[in-house]
Amino acid sequence: MAEITLVEAVNLALEFEMQSDPEVIVMGEDVAKNGGVFRATVGLLDKFGPERVLDTPLAESMIGGVAVGMAVQGLKPVAEFQFMGFIYPAIDQIINHAARIRNRTRGRMHCPVVFRTPFGAGIHAPEHHSESTEALFAHIPGLRVVIPSSPARAYGLLLASIRNPDPVIFLEPSRLYRFAKQEVKNDGKALPLDVCFTLRVGEDVTLVTWGAMVKETLAAADKLKEEGISAEVIDVATIKPLDMETILASVEKTGRCAIVHEAPLTNGVGAEIAAQIAEKALFSLKAPPERVTGFDTVVPYARLEKYYIPSEKRIIDAVYRLMEYA
Amino acid sequence: MKIFHLPDLGEGLAEAEIREWYIQVGDTVKVDQPLVSMETAKAVVDVPSPYAGKIVELHGKVNEIIKTGAPLITFETNDVVAQDKPKGTVVGSLEESSKKWEEGDVIVGGAKTRTQQIKAIPAARVLAKEMNVDLNLINPSGPQGLITVDDVKQFMDRKPHGTSLPEQAEALHGVRRVMAQAMSQSHKEVVPVTIIEDADITDLPAGTDITVEILQAIITAVKAEPSLNAWFDGKALERKLFDEINIGLAVDTPEGLFVPVIKQAEKHSPAELRQIVDTYKKTVRDRSIPAADMQGATITLSNFGTITGRYATPIIVPPTVAILGCGRSREAVLPHKGEIRIGRIMPLSLTFDHRAVTGGEATRFLGTVINYLQGNN
Repeated sequence: MAEITLVEAVNLALEFEMQSDPEVIVMGEDVAKNGGVFRATVGLLDKFGPERVLDTPLAESMIGGVAVGMAVQGLKPVAEFQFMGFIYPAIDQIINHAARIRNRTRGRMHCPVVFRTPFGAGIHAPEHHSESTEALFAHIPGLRVVIPSSPARAYGLLLASIRNPDPVIFLEPSRLYRFAKQEVKNDGKALPLDVCFTLRVGEDVTLVTWGAMVKETLAAADKLKEEGISAEVIDVATIKPLDMETILASVEKTGRCAIVHEAPLTNGVGAEIAAQIAEKALFSLKAPPERVTGFDTVVPYARLEKYYIPSEKRIIDAVYRLMEYA
Repeated sequence: MKIFHLPDLGEGLAEAEIREWYIQVGDTVKVDQPLVSMETAKAVVDVPSPYAGKIVELHGKVNEIIKTGAPLITFETNDVVAQDKPKGTVVGSLEESSKKWEEGDVIVGGAKTRTQQIKAIPAARVLAKEMNVDLNLINPSGPQGLITVDDVKQFMDRKPHGTSLPEQAEALHGVRRVMAQAMSQSHKEVVPVTIIEDADITDLPAGTDITVEILQAIITAVKAEPSLNAWFDGKALERKLFDEINIGLAVDTPEGLFVPVIKQAEKHSPAELRQIVDTYKKTVRDRSIPAADMQGATITLSNFGTITGRYATPIIVPPTVAILGCGRSREAVLPHKGEIRIGRIMPLSLTFDHRAVTGGEATRFLGTVINYLQGNN
């Protein structure tokens, strides 16, 4: 069992699945010879050859289209977009085709494709390398949106995503790519794609988050613990479909909830979670739900980035506001 | 010697520009130590050292452009581990460390231990909080154990009485109702302190009008301690002292307690005061007293001793801040100039609102009243 980073866990899962399933194909810009913009696919070309590890032209729409074509004909493509800001040319292929093939063909065809891309701010890069637009995809029927937040979950969730018979948008928090190392067993065991992960068990408040914000949220929870406030931390992981059962059970226990996401506030996934809490757990709430999010702006350049990303302090302040209620 | 060539800083970029050298020829460096800041077409990137060793040569100056794959730095090193595998920090910089990912025990799904919390309509929660009611004590009537607003209201209605009155209970009207409200308000708001003391009135001439004597004693005492002749607003924390002394006089009737007000008492002679008191007694009794005559008191006198009782803890009527109670005067064995004599004493009880009046002010006030009655003024 090796200690590896999140991006190495992505690489490990790809390698494992290519080894065990000859139909798995990796494709994208510079993924083969270069090993990928963040080296997520490094070494795969040498091991599996140019027929299964494909460098594509700089044309994301084509990447989307070719991947859909491969998938409906029986392959299992894992297509990489270099950054989330580059996925938009492929949205037509993703929404109009990948997400709908099963429905359109009345179940005769399906589309087992994984669209991988790094996302999120905090790496001092320009804005289209930094955004978190997961809500766009979470809104689309037929798409599953999966976001790992640790090496172990990157490994297990990517395996599950590749094995899933329908399209998955797999968003990798680039801020966490090499942030720390974790022991990951290369045993080919997938994690479930329809549940949250509870990272801290607590009694006073529920913190719901995903992706890179798991880092600040855990830090906030640890600080709060020192002050005697016990926070339950839930990593949603699969934001579509949402495992509301886990979130609601926790909120019914604690009576207080803060949703933390890096994406802008308005119409973010936090809005959907807050709405469902209002619909299904209102009478257990001791305080109105809080949302701690990025702002309704384009992600700023490097110097202001740290003000954009919800800080540990903003999370703690939100919890203080929640605790003011009886 | 080892020559470190500029690695592909990603996306197949052909070249990069030197922005800043962090090291000089002759420096000893460690693996991963930042060597140089390079600007690509996309971003500024720090290039870490692939080897541990000594710097022999830098193959470029600041602002010079180095082609990908061209020599960048020459090292003197025994390091045999080739570490020039590009790490692919292409755009921006990733936080990188070999520290351990501390997550603790991760539960797939939710935590299993669940304690069911109280369920309440949000408005019921707000009401309970405002009324300082513990939700745990309320019996829920809503579906699935939900506490409703009515549940909170019902609990509050039940709370003060314990038992409810029989249905033929008499509703309070008029002065009784006013008294009930004023006393409740006083109990909620005022912070009362009562001081008791006796006045030796043995030397008052026979036939002295005691009521008028007390009124005059109050007038004298107010002049000495004006802070007892005042109104107080506990919310705004404001007080108003009055020049005029409007003495409310508690008068008992079968209908209830009336408190007519002797306006500007300080301007009246003893005979006039007696006349006003008599007029009030009459108009109160025949219920002809105008409402205006019962408003504007700045201090109150309760001469309950005309009925019975020695001492009391009179209740202040907000917004005033003091009330003097006079008990029944009686004969008593008293020390007098070293001798024992049988004299007459009047028991006095002064209640003041300690939010507005100090203990010193109140005791000096009472002292002045007693001195006046004992003829020491």
